[in-house]
Amino acid sequence: MSDVLRRIEIPIALTIIATLLQVIPYYLDIPPLESAANTASNAVLIIVACATFVGVISIIQVHGKRIQRQSEGWYYSLLVIGFTVIMSITGLPIPEVGLSVNNSVYNWLFTNVLTPLGSTMYSILAFFITSAAFRAFRARNVESSIVLVAGTIMVMSNAPLLTNYLPFIADIALWIRSYPNMATFRGVMIGAALGSMALAVRTLMGIERGYLRGGGEE
Amino acid sequence: MSFLVKLKNLDRRYIYLLAWIVVLFPLLNPLGLPIPISQDARTWYDYVENEINDGDVVLLAPMYGVSGMPELFPMTVATMKHLLTKDVSIIVVSFWTQGPLVFNTLLEQVDPADYGYVYGEDWIRLGYVPGSETAMGSFAASIHNTVTADYVEGRPLSSFPMMDDIQTGEDIDVIVSFETGTPGTPEWMRQFQAPFGTDQITGCIGVSVSGMIPYVNSGQLKALMPGLTVSAEYEILLEKPGLAVAGVDAVSTSHLYVTLLVIVGNLAYFMTKEEED
Repeated sequence: MSDVLRRIEIPIALTIIATLLQVIPYYLDIPPLESAANTASNAVLIIVACATFVGVISIIQVHGKRIQRQSEGWYYSLLVIGFTVIMSITGLPIPEVGLSVNNSVYNWLFTNVLTPLGSTMYSILAFFITSAAFRAFRARNVESSIVLVAGTIMVMSNAPLLTNYLPFIADIALWIRSYPNMATFRGVMIGAALGSMALAVRTLMGIERGYLRGGGEE
Repeated sequence: MSFLVKLKNLDRRYIYLLAWIVVLFPLLNPLGLPIPISQDARTWYDYVENEINDGDVVLLAPMYGVSGMPELFPMTVATMKHLLTKDVSIIVVSFWTQGPLVFNTLLEQVDPADYGYVYGEDWIRLGYVPGSETAMGSFAASIHNTVTADYVEGRPLSSFPMMDDIQTGEDIDVIVSFETGTPGTPEWMRQFQAPFGTDQITGCIGVSVSGMIPYVNSGQLKALMPGLTVSAEYEILLEKPGLAVAGVDAVSTSHLYVTLLVIVGNLAYFMTKEEED
């Protein structure tokens, strides 16, 4: 029995069924299939929601070990676990006892801890970009010169001070954005879409097995 | 030449220090630098002003977390204020974990009640729906099956009269999405624009603009708000200067600084190239 359950054909068959269940109702109006597809979608949402708990468990396992072994920076792990536990408990959907995402502690932590930390992480980019602008953006050859000039014009076009006195910069930036950039991105998007279709067909036919047991070896 | 060599190898800490100054100084002492209005801001303003009609159902989606707030939050606030001046139904939903919390912060600055909007009658919050694009697809197929209760009161959606006529993606007239990544515009396009022809306008961070342009030029995206600068222009068009206008001086000075660094860095590179060779 266990050998039967471990057969590679079973997950492939499940993949094919799940995929066709979503694809067929998109093109054909078959109410029972549409209803089954919606039920399957809702099941996915439930699975994703359950995965949140796996995330919390994983965080506690990883950081718990670091605290236990007192590895370097273990006190940061202590903070991570502390805040994970506090936010998980205060955010529990039990409004009858004052717990929910509207809980004052939960919202205070979000506004006064998570928001400034997130903004700080984002702001640090400014330092990396300025350093890169000075050290890495070099016109070493024709290709890098084109990128450098286009990039600098785009940066300049984002500064109102410059576009106010040099409006042609905004016009050039708009042209770069609307023609070379768009043509390139369309190519990338069409290529990626064709690649996805090919991957889907290979998966449906059971040829692509990369998602199975790390390669689907028998 | 030795000066240029020294300049080329300038300690990055000096670059960081100057960056810190050029950003912080205009934030502490607003310079009132000029802000010309771009076509992007005008298109966004015109769309919200003229294309969203009274009675329309607007789905407003804050699809970002705290890291996206510096760039996206001002435009979300400004657009919310603009929408509230109209007689529309607003559904606030997010497929991004921290979206509802970002919206809580927004409500500290914009109270829909000040505009005569009544919760549950004119606007409603549906919170965060986990599941990325699958959730968006499910939401488009059946809003009531995907989200059973509202976010604020936890009441069944069927108990809100405004939701009686809003059942699927077909009942939504326009999507206003503010986003930093995936799920975002491509996912909205696949789940709403393609099957229902729903209009969409998107506010995004500066680095996402390149990927959005094909949707703008094809007409699938009716307007695009790329970054803080355009947000500031939009606030000026709205005649409600806010967070973006306050921050745009720093955008000007920091971008000018980056431009100068590129020029100086390359001059130093070329003038010392032969010496080093």
